[in-house]
Amino acid sequence: MRRRGASTKVMAAGTAVEPITAETADEIAAQEFARIVESHRPQIFRFLLASLRDVDLAETLTQECFLKAHRNWKNFRGDSSAMTWLMRIAINLQKDYWRNRRIQFWRQTRTNAVDLDEASEWLPNGERSAEQQMLAREQVAQVWQAVKGLSERQRTVFLLRYVEERELSEIAAATGLSEGTVKAHLSRALGRVRAELRGKR
Amino acid sequence: MNWEQDMAGESRELEQALKHFKASMDAWSDAAYSRPRTAAKLAVRHSWRMAASWALGCLLAAGSLAGAVHEIHHRQELARLAAQKTAQERAAAGRAVALHASAQVEKTVPAVTIAKVTVSTQDEDLLASVDSDVSREVPAAMEPLAQLMDDNGTQ
Repeated sequence: MRRRGASTKVMAAGTAVEPITAETADEIAAQEFARIVESHRPQIFRFLLASLRDVDLAETLTQECFLKAHRNWKNFRGDSSAMTWLMRIAINLQKDYWRNRRIQFWRQTRTNAVDLDEASEWLPNGERSAEQQMLAREQVAQVWQAVKGLSERQRTVFLLRYVEERELSEIAAATGLSEGTVKAHLSRALGRVRAELRGKR
Repeated sequence: MNWEQDMAGESRELEQALKHFKASMDAWSDAAYSRPRTAAKLAVRHSWRMAASWALGCLLAAGSLAGAVHEIHHRQELARLAAQKTAQERAAAGRAVALHASAQVEKTVPAVTIAKVTVSTQDEDLLASVDSDVSREVPAAMEPLAQLMDDNGTQ
């Protein structure tokens, strides 16, 4: 998405119109940002929930992500998509969270992260037999087990690819890695999942 | 799905597992995202906590104030008792001194009286002798008058 500067004139159907005032520009920017929040908030929340397995924390970090985005909205030049930009902020936030938790592990840090079994309980109510449901649940649990064993970067790349369904180029832009590195991380992550599925068979 | 190209050559099981994982995450995220927010409950709980902490704080403050007042009162009482005791001791000592002094006074009063009586007697004697001396040392020329005076005085 490419944004124009607030001081530029709007040209509609070849006719010059009055220059935009600062107030109008702010209003337009606010409306634009509100649309971005509405459309991207569920995805950011889902990515953070998958990364942290903590609903409250995911909500808090989602809020923080959009707060940061709002503060820096004027500086967003539109070099990448708004989603990639927001995802980058979310990745940095969760990175900061894990770093702080590692530093402060000896302090009284409380986490509400659900365990893997609980996380695996969630499945859509499809028209499936009980056996299929059980099999699906088991597979989800195995994938969670594999995800748990991944490094922070591998987990981020894996979730962006297989939960958020982002393109490799978008993942590279969001994580600040090259596409080759993203592919390598994905390959290792898939290897883990494969090994987990084989091991449980 | 745009990552299905990754799955080329992969087992069907892996593909299924990843699809189920994605579906599971979607279901969980949707449920969590649309759940009612607990901010109001948290606020209520927070206000209860605040009220409880305020009550506890007030209780502690009142307790410490009462303790301080009691301590001051206790000290004042002790000081009053000590002052009373000291006053009693002083009074007793004063009484003892007074008794001793009165005893001393009683001892000294008769001597004074005797002395006074002695002095007054001596004074009378002296006056009498002066009178007699004066009456005797009358010039010879005045002797008849003196006799007259004596006669008048005796009459």
